[in-house]
Amino acid sequence: MTFSFYAPRIENLGKICKILTQQGISFWLYHCIIEISYGSNSGKYSMQPRQGIVEIFSTFVQFEADQFSGWATDAKLRRSMKVCLERSSTERSDTFWALYWYKVWQNESSGVALTHISAYLQEVCYRAARKFARNFSTQSSVGDCFQMAIARVDKILKRFNPEYSSNLKGYAELAFESIIKDVLRERREADICSDWALLHKLSRKRLVQSLQNAGFNAQSIESSLLAWECFKELYTGDNTKIRKLTKPDAVIWEAITNLYNAERLSRLSLPTVVVNQQTIESWVLSSAKAARTFLYPKIVSADAPLKEENDGNLLDILPADLPTSLLTEIIEQEEAANARNQQAQLNEFLHQAIAAMDAKSQQLLQVYYGQKLTQTEIAAHLKIKQYTVSRRLSSIKKLLLLTLTQWSQNTLHISPKSDVIDAINTSLEEWLKIQYSHT
Amino acid sequence: MLNAPPPFTIDSQQLYLEIPQSPEEQQPYSTSGACQRGWINQKCLQAFLPWFKEEIAPTARVYPNSAALPSFWEVVNGTAITFDSDRLVLIPTLAIDGDELRVPQEWVDIPEWVADYYIAVQVNPDEGWMKIFGYTTHQILKTKGVYDPGDRTYSLESEDLIPDINVLWVTRQLNHSEALRAKIAPLAPIAKTQAENLLERLGDPDVKFPRLAVPFSLWGALLAHGGWRKKLSELRQGLLIQWSIPQWLQTGVANLAQQWGWEKREFLVVPGGMRSAEPFLGLSRQIIVAQNTYELRIFPKSASEDYVWRFELQSTTPGGQIPAGFKLRLLTEDLQAFENNQDTATTPVNMLYLEVILELGEALVWEIEPAPEDYDREILRF
Repeated sequence: MTFSFYAPRIENLGKICKILTQQGISFWLYHCIIEISYGSNSGKYSMQPRQGIVEIFSTFVQFEADQFSGWATDAKLRRSMKVCLERSSTERSDTFWALYWYKVWQNESSGVALTHISAYLQEVCYRAARKFARNFSTQSSVGDCFQMAIARVDKILKRFNPEYSSNLKGYAELAFESIIKDVLRERREADICSDWALLHKLSRKRLVQSLQNAGFNAQSIESSLLAWECFKELYTGDNTKIRKLTKPDAVIWEAITNLYNAERLSRLSLPTVVVNQQTIESWVLSSAKAARTFLYPKIVSADAPLKEENDGNLLDILPADLPTSLLTEIIEQEEAANARNQQAQLNEFLHQAIAAMDAKSQQLLQVYYGQKLTQTEIAAHLKIKQYTVSRRLSSIKKLLLLTLTQWSQNTLHISPKSDVIDAINTSLEEWLKIQYSHT
Repeated sequence: MLNAPPPFTIDSQQLYLEIPQSPEEQQPYSTSGACQRGWINQKCLQAFLPWFKEEIAPTARVYPNSAALPSFWEVVNGTAITFDSDRLVLIPTLAIDGDELRVPQEWVDIPEWVADYYIAVQVNPDEGWMKIFGYTTHQILKTKGVYDPGDRTYSLESEDLIPDINVLWVTRQLNHSEALRAKIAPLAPIAKTQAENLLERLGDPDVKFPRLAVPFSLWGALLAHGGWRKKLSELRQGLLIQWSIPQWLQTGVANLAQQWGWEKREFLVVPGGMRSAEPFLGLSRQIIVAQNTYELRIFPKSASEDYVWRFELQSTTPGGQIPAGFKLRLLTEDLQAFENNQDTATTPVNMLYLEVILELGEALVWEIEPAPEDYDREILRF
């Protein structure tokens, strides 16, 4: 097939894709276009597009000098896809297979399914990583951002709802951006906090994960957690300025130690012996250190993703037969998601709903989603206070969500349960980002 | 003190609110941790409630009332807000990772404390903002949440929360009825002596984690009783409040009790058989039921040798009446009924009253049905 446009500008890509979607062209084309246009846009970077279904679901980005340098194949995944293709009577698109693996993951929590999807989302993740590493002066490399994001594919899948979301790639790209943003924000905060302050700014879950990551055993984790609790309860410093919290003095350390010793027998399943101040101090510091290390994980090699679970016969890992019900479901969903009429109707409806808003609200949407300014920039631009931006945006979207949900009730006959409305809200967000990004 | 604003765009699915500057209220919390907890919850409430009233539910108010809040924060994280006929609990955290919502068991398994919604709020005091990063329901917390007996919390990963609080508003607007609350077992009530033992033990501020020191069934039952919860907090904070009615009549109402709305007043009572009115000293507080104001009065009756006290409920509006269905009730400290402890308005009446013979030092709890706004149990000693 030929492409009659050379190096289209990134802003126009969205329009192009929309046109193509409306003509029912498969998303496989969409991503080829992206790859080719990206290729001609930048000089050194040329991410070769993946062509075949098998490649798309079994290869991973390799980095060299913090840039894409090639695709690495995971042999196990390759075999897995080949088996799937053999068993499938009809030829199917990559979106079909993405949905298939999503369903398998959803029903069976399959590690293989998850890594297939990770492979599928490599380009999308790379794009998000590059965007952040380039546009924001952070100390994080592309590889770093990529790593952060791709490690959380399971979390992204948890909130993916194929019934309401445009497609997995579109959804994932926004989710990856969100994740990278969050991690960079966490790192920034951790970097300007003292160890003592950081300890106050950790969730228990995060601390446990950090300690596990650092190789602590169950007993150490338990006792570290208790020491941490005692530390937090007895030493807080100024309520308004936590970041610069300094080291506790000897009197406080003593109190913390005494508290730990008093509590350990009743609180720990594997109680330690009585410990002294130095021990408590070192435990508490190690916790802080573990938390910092967890925020900056080492870059792992591209084909490490598939863990050693189920290392047996591949045929045991794959579902015995591609269940026909699953297939039908996926086909239906694919068709439903690409349903031309509905998409056009929805677009029209949302355009009208926004046009019906007052000028200030429309302006805020334009400035936030279109120009992607920061909160302070928006505030300056619109001459309103910084916090007002968030409140106003929330208020505008609240009303949009209501009308969209009511429309969905009437047109699509959805039932307004909170998980459904949540899914509609996510797709509204996607729609807004895509719409304004190419106006 | 200018902090560089975050270089990233705000999350448009998550609401940011500014932490208000206000003078810090000095509350003698028993530990630094409790003090920090009190501060964070206070700020969270101050930022959240006005926004919530404006955008989501104009009827929203703190539960049970503002004066009661420090007695919660002394021992547990979280702030409850009632709106329409529902309740939510704000769960603020300093954690920057936003990995989870962690709700203390008290808010999930004490029937009197249970809420419909639980709101996850991330607080950043250094930068002066807080962010609502998700919410969930009691139902989901009980079914999907993970209970950790180590710190007695129910937790949900952030992926399992609904990130945008606007979804809460839209669900309610569309009148979709969902089961928000899961069924939970009632807590067995505890007797007065047991409560006294618990209060003595846990009222010692040297016990740093009182909520983990005794089995939850006992702890929950103790906290569920507003009077005991207040007492616990007062002991731990070294506030030696006398909730002693005779003392208040003599020396005036204790400062803290004034916060609860009590004041000493002179009443004119016409005793039966006398021609002129005699002034009596008594105690008075206002209560509000369904937006109407009433006055609860307590004063001694010196008719006989017995130690008799009279309780009256009247409307504050001249000519106003007590509507039919209202009840004035007295209970023992551990919430047991006794003979003639209740007066009901079968038709609208001018006054509900009760007279009781007490022992010196005996304690009572008063109740009004329907429950007044801001109601929190009080234990009054006579």
